[in-house]
Amino acid sequence: MEYVSPEGLRIDGRRPMEMRKLQAEIGVVAKADGSAVFEMGNTKVIAAVYGPREVQNRSQQLSDQALVRCEYSMANFSTGDRMRKPKGDRRSTEISLVIRQTMEACILTQLMPRSQIDIYVQVLQADGGTRSACINAATLALADAGIPMRDFVTSCSAGYLNSTPLLDLNYVEDSAGGPDVTVGILPKLDKVTLLQMDAKLPLDIFENVMQLAVEGCKAIADYIREVLSENTKQLEYRRGL
Amino acid sequence: MGAPNAAGDWSSEMEVDAFRRLFPLCYFERHLSESIRPDARPLKRARDTIVSLGAVASSDGSALAKIGSTTMLAAIKMEVMTPSVDSPDEGSIAVEFHMPPICSPVVRPGRPAEVAPVISKQLFDSLLSSGMIDLKELSLVKGKAAWMAYLDIYCLDADGALFDAALLSAVAAFSHLRIPVVSLNDEGRVVVVSKELEGEKLVKEPVNEERRKLSLNSIPFSLTCILHKNYILADPTFEEESIMETFITVVLNSSGQLVSLYKPGGPVLAHTSAIQECIALTKHRMKELQEIIDEAISIMEVD
Repeated sequence: MEYVSPEGLRIDGRRPMEMRKLQAEIGVVAKADGSAVFEMGNTKVIAAVYGPREVQNRSQQLSDQALVRCEYSMANFSTGDRMRKPKGDRRSTEISLVIRQTMEACILTQLMPRSQIDIYVQVLQADGGTRSACINAATLALADAGIPMRDFVTSCSAGYLNSTPLLDLNYVEDSAGGPDVTVGILPKLDKVTLLQMDAKLPLDIFENVMQLAVEGCKAIADYIREVLSENTKQLEYRRGL
Repeated sequence: MGAPNAAGDWSSEMEVDAFRRLFPLCYFERHLSESIRPDARPLKRARDTIVSLGAVASSDGSALAKIGSTTMLAAIKMEVMTPSVDSPDEGSIAVEFHMPPICSPVVRPGRPAEVAPVISKQLFDSLLSSGMIDLKELSLVKGKAAWMAYLDIYCLDADGALFDAALLSAVAAFSHLRIPVVSLNDEGRVVVVSKELEGEKLVKEPVNEERRKLSLNSIPFSLTCILHKNYILADPTFEEESIMETFITVVLNSSGQLVSLYKPGGPVLAHTSAIQECIALTKHRMKELQEIIDEAISIMEVD
């Protein structure tokens, strides 16, 4: 199957280096301390952060830092066929772990000892790149909750099909069987916190693909920064400043 | 929690927020005696309600309903199944209500919320007994194939009156539902016709029209009221529900008939007059909800 046409257009009409349309909104769940909805094309994810709050399981309490917990789950209607087991299956457990460790790297946990920060992510519509959308949504939700962080974490995926590096794969391209590189970076510090890849890829091509993903992450970071400063402007406006 | 006298002594010295946290019942009663609630609503008024159809593009029918801050996302997926032997010409519905941890600080990943399966069952009973859906419309080939409609409702924000919002989103999702076009393939199995194949000649088309809608008669609408001493509060928030525990949910259908009445115990005993009043409030609310749903449907049809 042809994923990149001879004119250089992908299945959904994008160019190889073009990302899908981004849309984000903060403060969507009134009950949560921080929340955000993040959309990358048709992939739609909602994240809510509760914390810092009292540790629910005393035996897990850490005396010198905050405990970070994360749960990833997909809605039954998020994929094409209705999912029977949206959480507790291996993929969800793995992604929960990945998101937790990624966010833990950027939260200043030493400032909040003996407390707990819960990050819950729910996928409402899945069209490829759910892992990345979840990390981006979690970053926004943590910022909305006012939790001190070293830097944002933004994430993007890239692949290699028909001898072309492609940015931000959707579901069809992801299931094509080619390599799928997911990168998560701290944009200001220019450091990589998450890097996952499956399928085979020669090393020099891997560098190109990874670089492409990092560029995607930086573009997302710019967008996130814009969303947050717009939100702050609104808050100032409402306070009459 | 102090007795009213003790609280009264403190109230003049303390900040409002602290008083609200330490003596919640007293705080609310102070408001109730002036016939108002902390969010400035009169006792009998429900919160602002919004319904939006087609929130989930990948499903066959979906809706987002918000009552105040309580947010419910409902989506329906249709699958073909063999009907049961005792009702070969009827399809079926499966309702599941989920409360993911994002919706409320009291829901934890390991421990699902207690109310979730209760509301699932309540919804299922209300939808079926109201007669909104004629299961015969969900049949495809008698005895061989019928539709199973999986309705999943996700609570995205739990701020009281969960059942009301869930029922509203379920009703809205069903009014948005478009049944996919199917045909029988050569082996006699029902196959969903995808958009690319519409041009081909089909062996048999049980569904004649394009994307059929369900004809919904007698739609159920509900209202939850809290009973406290001799006050009746319509459409409680989460805070109100946690302080004053007795509530009663009334479900009426669009012709004004009583579909269900649910008062699961609670410290307050209700006189028949209180129940009559709740039913009257629900009737009034039903008119509001009907307008909101009709508007949402007409907006969608314009597109």
